[in-house]
Amino acid sequence: MNYTFQFGLVFAQLPYLLGGALLTLEVAFLSFWLGAVIGLMGALGKMYGGRAIRWLINAYVIFFTNTPALVQIFFLFYALPDIGILLSPMTAVVIGMTLNSGAYLTDILRAGILSVRREEIETAQVLGMSGPQMVRFVILPHIAKTIYAPLSNFFIWLVLGSSMAAIFGVEELTGRAINISTQNLRTIETFAVIAVIYIALTFIASIALALVGRWAFRVRARIF
Amino acid sequence: MWDRIVQDAPNFFTYYNAIFVLQAMGRTLGLTVVGCVTGFVLGFAIAAIRSTRARALLPLRLLVTVYVEIFRRIPFLVILFIIMFGIQAISQGISLFAIALISICMVSTAFMSEIIRAGMESVPLMQREAAEAMNFGFLRTLLLVILPQAWKVILPPGFAFMVMFIKDTALVSQMGVVELAFTGKMFVGRGFSPFLVYGTVLAGYFVMSYPLSRLGAYLENRLATTRNREPMQRVWAGPGSVPGQPVGEQG
Repeated sequence: MNYTFQFGLVFAQLPYLLGGALLTLEVAFLSFWLGAVIGLMGALGKMYGGRAIRWLINAYVIFFTNTPALVQIFFLFYALPDIGILLSPMTAVVIGMTLNSGAYLTDILRAGILSVRREEIETAQVLGMSGPQMVRFVILPHIAKTIYAPLSNFFIWLVLGSSMAAIFGVEELTGRAINISTQNLRTIETFAVIAVIYIALTFIASIALALVGRWAFRVRARIF
Repeated sequence: MWDRIVQDAPNFFTYYNAIFVLQAMGRTLGLTVVGCVTGFVLGFAIAAIRSTRARALLPLRLLVTVYVEIFRRIPFLVILFIIMFGIQAISQGISLFAIALISICMVSTAFMSEIIRAGMESVPLMQREAAEAMNFGFLRTLLLVILPQAWKVILPPGFAFMVMFIKDTALVSQMGVVELAFTGKMFVGRGFSPFLVYGTVLAGYFVMSYPLSRLGAYLENRLATTRNREPMQRVWAGPGSVPGQPVGEQG
């Protein structure tokens, strides 16, 4: 094997790549929070809704958790123009990932809400807590403690998953790496560099999330 | 749109197209199964190494931990690219399918080892100490004490992971491996209605992963142990791995 590594050409483009990393985070953020809205509505609808609503939400969750996000976005991007809906790559990816994460977050949030036991609420009532006090001191801390770790894991999963946006031409971290590597033909080096960026990104996110969780919700989440 | 689907449907649902799609589904399933089995075996080895405490094995533990952390923190697509170009720089004779299989095995090893490690750690430390007190060796502790209690915790997320991997193999289509997602691209390229084609592809994935996630959910309910232990907070086998709540499957 006589391959000489040349990282110089890649390092010259580092600011461009880091700009892509910002876009990666943006896609992950957008799909996380929009998905959280869907997930919250889904979780509440699944618990308190009527038969039809429950059935609908179940169908949504089962469909989106059992098919690949990639093909879902393919569908949005290539099939919807047939009925006159033209989406830009970025919108298609964000919509696809939002729908996808909404399905997962429905399950996660529902598990969190279900984790509050009736006895705890009854105990709070016996102690004479008012409604808002109960929410503030009993229900929310409990839910937060249950769902915080799965939520932060899910966010990191989204950061990694957003790399598939590159396939549709969104210029996030992976997309920019593809751009660069087609110019400088240093493919291995370019992808090695963005791999390191991804590792750094997710590590920083993990540590930050763990610290925030420990400070705000007393969640004992480990980083390793 | 509808008239186009109606117009395309007779040409699309032909015998040979069906064979082609089924073969592609078989390839997706093959990639997943081989990846998960390899991942399970190697992941088990990694988890076993990480559960040791001997000082002499510290470098090995460190190496294995670094491997797991690296492969869990790089997007699958990027790993695919790196491995593809890396292998092709060494030799050109390896098929794309083999390269895809190698990358899938490497990634699934990292994820599976985390699932297995979480299962092993769910066994109370006292059990390990008791085994030590009875002069059990490392292998005997592992096989007779830890595993019989850990497999209940390992199996449900294991299935959730397999479902996730069926879906993740779709990314392999970007390398040109002819699996289910790739057939979608191909049929659209041949001019069929994208609605029809991607609808079929989505249905194909659904048919493969839904039974598995049902099975995982069933096992989760069946094997459920007492829930008063602090749930393992860290494994992220799949996106929605809440302990005690299988993904995509509640009544």
